[in-house]
Amino acid sequence: MSGCDHAIEYVYHYLDEEISFFRKSRIRLHLKRCAHCMDAYEFERKLKGVIHERGRTDPPPELFDTLRALIQEEREKDESGS
Amino acid sequence: MADQANFERDAMQYAPQLYSAALRMARNAADAEDVVQETYLKAYRAYDSFTEGTNLKAWLYRILTNTYINNYRKKQRRPSEVELGELQDMYLFRRLGEASGAAQSAEADMLDAFVDTDIIDALEALPETFRMPVLLADVDGFAYKEIAEMLDIPIGTVMSRLHRGRKALQKKLWDVAQEHGITGDRS
Repeated sequence: MSGCDHAIEYVYHYLDEEISFFRKSRIRLHLKRCAHCMDAYEFERKLKGVIHERGRTDPPPELFDTLRALIQEEREKDESGS
Repeated sequence: MADQANFERDAMQYAPQLYSAALRMARNAADAEDVVQETYLKAYRAYDSFTEGTNLKAWLYRILTNTYINNYRKKQRRPSEVELGELQDMYLFRRLGEASGAAQSAEADMLDAFVDTDIIDALEALPETFRMPVLLADVDGFAYKEIAEMLDIPIGTVMSRLHRGRKALQKKLWDVAQEHGITGDRS
């Protein structure tokens, strides 16, 4: 397998930090010498960050109160039951 | 063992993340709120069995994921792998590269053009089999092993679904890029 094929095959394992030390070293060495693969890695890394940052939605502000009330109710049930 | 008296102090900080994850799973706000409420109630009741010092966020996500799968998941067509079709690895990088011509590293700059709703719509458009691992890995940052435990599937299955799901997500984002003219070739 060429260095490029190897790097592409393991791009997600690498970025997810789910890779063996040996494979990681081999890929690092390849990225130093291959600008195209380096570009690809930087792209995938940035995309992962974009999904992490922009893939979330804030909860409605009353969510905390609702949850606290729910747990309080449960706690009172426990106390009156025991 | 954890003390129920500390539950709110310990667990409430994760509510926004859990709500967001539930919303991406259920794809509607009413169900998302119900899933989160049920999750917190179950978690409170079971908090005695949580081992202090282990990963509370992962423990809560496990309850959330189970609650969603068992009680809220809509009956759906058999989720087929065929549905995603065969896509190239690093689909979006390749397409953007072709669109930007020879410009160095232009692909990464193009990612700045995607707004929140682009990412959210693309995530929610994924078939559920693939959406769950992608959400848990890319939005919430869990390890393969943790995702395998949450979804009760082998690690190898997590990896293959994640791989296919990410490619499908990139395809959706490419479609969005074209619709919005992000690629600059609207001629």
